[in-house]
Amino acid sequence: MSLSRRQALLGSAAGTAALATGLYRPAIAASEPIRIGYLPALTGPSSSTGIGINRGTELAVKEINDAGGINGRQIELIVRDTQSDPTKAVNAATELTRRHKVHVIWGPLNSGEALAATPLIARDGIPQMHPCWVDTLTDVKKYPLAFRNAPTNQQIGGAANHYVVNILKAKKVAVISDTTGYGTASLNAYVPMLKTLAAEVAYEGSVESNNPDLKPELLRMQSAGAQAIMPWSVNAGFLSRIINTRAEMNWDIPIVGQTTLGSGQTKALLKKPEYWEKVYPNNFRNCSYSAGGALPPRTVEFVERIRKANIEMSDTLLWWIALGYDGPRLMAEAIKAAGSAPEEIAGYWNKVKGWPGVYGSITWTPDLHDGFQNEEIVMCQANSLRDGAFTLAPGYTG
Amino acid sequence: MNDGATGPLASAGRTRFGRLEAHLPSVLLAAVGAALPLIGDAYLGVIATRAAIYWVLVSGLNLVVGFAGQIAIGWVALLTLGAYATSVLSAGTVLPEVSPFLALLAAGLLGAIFGVIIGLPALRLRTFYFAMTTLGFATIVTQVALAWKSVTGGGVGVPGPVFAWPFASPWGFYYFCLGLAVIATWMTTNIAASRFGRSLVAIRDAEVAAEAVGIHKPSLLVTVFLFSGAVAAIAGGLFASLQSYITPDAFTFDLSVLFFIAILIGGRGSILGPLLGTIILTALPEFAAPLVAWSTFLYAVLLLVIVLAVPGGIADLLDYKNRRPLQRHREIRPQPALLAHIMPHSEQANLLRLEHLTLSFGGVRAIDGVELEIKAGEVHGLIGPNGSGKTTTLNVICGYYPPQHGLVRLNDKVLGPAAPHTRARHRIARTFQTPRLVGAASVLENVMIGGTTAGRASFVEALLSLPRQHRDEQQARAAAMAALAAVGLDQLALVRADRLQHSELRFVEIARALMSRPLFLLLDEPAAGLTVDEIKRLGALIVTISRQGTGVLLVEHHADMIFDICDRVTVLNLGKVLASGTPAEIRGHREVINAYLGA
Amino acid sequence: MLLSIVSYGLALGAVYALIGITYNVMFAASRVFSFTAGTVGMLGGVIGALLINRLGLPVALGFLLTLGAGAGLGIITEMVTVRPVLKSLDQHLYVLSTLAFALMLQQLTAIEWSTEPQPFPRLLPFGPGIFDQQFWLPMLACGVTIAGLEWLYRHTLVGRAFLAIAEDNYAARALGLPEQGLRIASYALAGMIGTLAGFSSGEMMLAYFGNGPLLNFYGFVPVALGGMGSNRGAVAGGLALGLFQQTANFLVGGIFASVAIFVVFIIVLLVRPEGFAGAAPARRV
Repeated sequence: MSLSRRQALLGSAAGTAALATGLYRPAIAASEPIRIGYLPALTGPSSSTGIGINRGTELAVKEINDAGGINGRQIELIVRDTQSDPTKAVNAATELTRRHKVHVIWGPLNSGEALAATPLIARDGIPQMHPCWVDTLTDVKKYPLAFRNAPTNQQIGGAANHYVVNILKAKKVAVISDTTGYGTASLNAYVPMLKTLAAEVAYEGSVESNNPDLKPELLRMQSAGAQAIMPWSVNAGFLSRIINTRAEMNWDIPIVGQTTLGSGQTKALLKKPEYWEKVYPNNFRNCSYSAGGALPPRTVEFVERIRKANIEMSDTLLWWIALGYDGPRLMAEAIKAAGSAPEEIAGYWNKVKGWPGVYGSITWTPDLHDGFQNEEIVMCQANSLRDGAFTLAPGYTG
Repeated sequence: MNDGATGPLASAGRTRFGRLEAHLPSVLLAAVGAALPLIGDAYLGVIATRAAIYWVLVSGLNLVVGFAGQIAIGWVALLTLGAYATSVLSAGTVLPEVSPFLALLAAGLLGAIFGVIIGLPALRLRTFYFAMTTLGFATIVTQVALAWKSVTGGGVGVPGPVFAWPFASPWGFYYFCLGLAVIATWMTTNIAASRFGRSLVAIRDAEVAAEAVGIHKPSLLVTVFLFSGAVAAIAGGLFASLQSYITPDAFTFDLSVLFFIAILIGGRGSILGPLLGTIILTALPEFAAPLVAWSTFLYAVLLLVIVLAVPGGIADLLDYKNRRPLQRHREIRPQPALLAHIMPHSEQANLLRLEHLTLSFGGVRAIDGVELEIKAGEVHGLIGPNGSGKTTTLNVICGYYPPQHGLVRLNDKVLGPAAPHTRARHRIARTFQTPRLVGAASVLENVMIGGTTAGRASFVEALLSLPRQHRDEQQARAAAMAALAAVGLDQLALVRADRLQHSELRFVEIARALMSRPLFLLLDEPAAGLTVDEIKRLGALIVTISRQGTGVLLVEHHADMIFDICDRVTVLNLGKVLASGTPAEIRGHREVINAYLGA
Repeated sequence: MLLSIVSYGLALGAVYALIGITYNVMFAASRVFSFTAGTVGMLGGVIGALLINRLGLPVALGFLLTLGAGAGLGIITEMVTVRPVLKSLDQHLYVLSTLAFALMLQQLTAIEWSTEPQPFPRLLPFGPGIFDQQFWLPMLACGVTIAGLEWLYRHTLVGRAFLAIAEDNYAARALGLPEQGLRIASYALAGMIGTLAGFSSGEMMLAYFGNGPLLNFYGFVPVALGGMGSNRGAVAGGLALGLFQQTANFLVGGIFASVAIFVVFIIVLLVRPEGFAGAAPARRV
């Protein structure tokens, strides 16, 4: 603590001298970096998203800085691993906003941590962009400076439920989640949504993600007559265990749900590759092969760029990397065009329309800070994974 | 209690400076804490707020772990409880909405109840087992928080309470938490310096002796669990406010570890030590970002180092008073004349009778139909070979073992067979074959423990440092110094008991026994390990004690001493009374010579 | 359904029993309960996965090396956390030193290995069946351990020396038994039993640092209920616990099952603190 005090004293002495001469002021402002506070979960039970997104973010920041930065100012990415722990997220968020006085915050990347950190970031008046899905994480009144560049739970669940009930024609559905904030919120949201589609929820339950034995749960689903399993969790181990258990029980029903079902991490934990059949995760149009077997040109170009940068794709998901790439770029664009003050950044974002991200196009208005479009959410086949992208699920058209 | 700040002074009364020194932890905390905002680092403020909240919990847990010595590892359960209770009540989702301050109080009440529930197994179980049950409780509470979705929101969680102005702003909330932390420090310091604090430490380090002086472990532990639980739950409410949103995964096992280790690192029986420990452990991970991931590992390493190298913790390192070398070649010179100050002469003809006492351990009959009478004003010797039942007889009188037949009668009252803690009230005091003292406490504190039953102030009065508590302390201190003067150890009053020689410890035990102005004093081989001179002086002391009106039962192997000072002697052999009479009669008794004395 | 409960329950129960035996062997040698018993079990799984999956060693070699690591950990436990505090007057320091060491091992595993459960290799080359190897391997390990210990205690000099140290420390030393050496050997043996438990159940429980506290608790329950020092009590308690847990899991689901177990554990202990097969505490004055 005494060190920082000394720094504070020295800093204020230097600053006073600079002000007095008046000469150095513009130079300091011009060379002062743009500080982006970054709150990924790189370790812990919910780290699969963080690890994937991180690769895209680092690439984006490097590219921007190599090209000269934002109006000549370099981006300083200040990373704090939240370890999937809300307490650490709160500490870290406060450190970023109060001590480092960042210009903008990217994250937290998990809903559980965002639930705790978002109110605090809002209170400190720092613009925030995050990709978390839990519905309550944007609120134009409570958090006027918080923007979401990903779909909401409602959007995701809606697409998955529609596929299960209307396309696969399953009448009885089992919904299972882990016990994190994200998992439980999803379960709470999706069960009523299924009921409005006139489906019967034969089983609903939350199980701890590190529980090694999911057989009792699947047996109960089976005896309740479930015709589809919908898991909601970002924990690859949890999801892989559901898939493995289904196979060991020789139970032939589809598994439809969270995008992590299709990640390379999940694949690595399967006991046999063929277990990955009949698994249909959410995915996004820009990261899916069209009917003709081609990716959108923007995505093709992005994949090339990732390959050139030697970024690993096989153990994660392409859309995470894309999302991580899009975030800092949209921040940089706002700061370049409008300035680095909070109201300048937020003001720019409030007017973004159809911004062409690799992951998806983003539209924000002053009344709606959820930027992702419904039409861009699709269902795909997990075992069609090729170069980070998937083909659409069978029977899926719209 | 080796905390220099809470130790007493040599003079009978406490000067104003003495009281200030005792409250050093509160003063330090208030001063440093109030000045912190001047640094102007708002992030530091958050860390400091967190440390203050943790300290509120740890100060209460300190009484349980540091003072009472109970290994309660899973205390995060109460933090969780308090956090959810405060949040749910403030939000008004289950019951009508209440002000966050009231919610905090309600949480405290709930915490008190659950503190007792979680702590109760300590009364029945061994240390390790109790530690395991507290871990179990911590897990249960988290599981319930996950499962009881309608109230706790399950995995989604609930928003934390927001306290009204002026506590809503970050620094305002900091001052609120700091204030509560200072109050908690003040209260626990008051307890530490009271007979309750001494009793807790006695339970921890000398449980058998604690019972003999009238300390009732169950009621004391329950009181401490009530306080500790309430305080922990209040800390939980503050925690929820700091987090602004709580989910079950915020209450990790790592937090329980932090609380527990902070106390051990700080040093048991101290207030300042655990305070510093909490601040250090909270701040440590914030010094460098990589440290955050390794924080629990570092805590564990610190704990191991402390246990192996400095079991007394930080408090031990700060205890400069007990590093001053003691005078070598010390002599114990009791001043029997001073006994009149503590024990006014009494002519009451009390009688302690043992009637047909019989007790077996397994297949061995330790005492068989023992009959004995101890009269007031008399020294009654009890001798016999090893294993003849002497100590067992003492233990039965004191209520540690209920006899299978027979009873112990004080005047016309039958003493409860299995209630050792009631003997002190009847003014029966004893010493032990091996001195049972609290090594970590000073000699004066050890002797003051003997006066526990004379204390009138309640726990709450001690907590709030009310006048009756001060009177109790002054009287206890004066009496203890007088007792120490009588046994000749007043020069060593402030020295840690574990620095004393064996013979000095025996005299300290006697001083402790004198505190209750005993009607009957039972001495178990007090001369063992004493020099010839010391034995002579001990004998003179015992005689003077008895002449004041106390009946003394002296179990001894030193035949010279027995025949010198005893008025009557009883000989035990193989659990039975072999002979009983005057010393002269016993010395010449043929069977006694054969069995024990030799020619 | 029933088959699943029984097979999984008995398999888990065997693991809990083995950890309970680990506790017992450590306790017999030093009259100290060590928090490292469950941690050593967890490390059996992690080290096995590390050697076989990550380093590619053959299964048999991995197994032997894991047992060796277990013995090593047991010895370190004895040297660092038990021996130094046995001498001190404060009897409860061992709780703290073993807790500290167990925490260190656990955190190290979490940081260096992974915070997530990792897969454990398939040990024997035949495929999954109804009564799969992941179930009968732990039971086999338990049976072998019990038989081995029986033989050790009854028919070898070393085993009888172990019993002597456990029964009456002073007398054994007076007879000239090398107390320290025997204690080190006991701890090494306990470490091996612990890692055997973790290794044989690796496929079932996965290689996960969080297994440490889990095994610490669930391995202690049989000891507490069956009476400390009693291996038979530990086995009976362990198997019963495993079956009870799986039945509860199936009937009411994971969360309530663990709550049920804790409640039963605490109630039984309050009613009979020394366990069903244990002896009441000896005289204390």
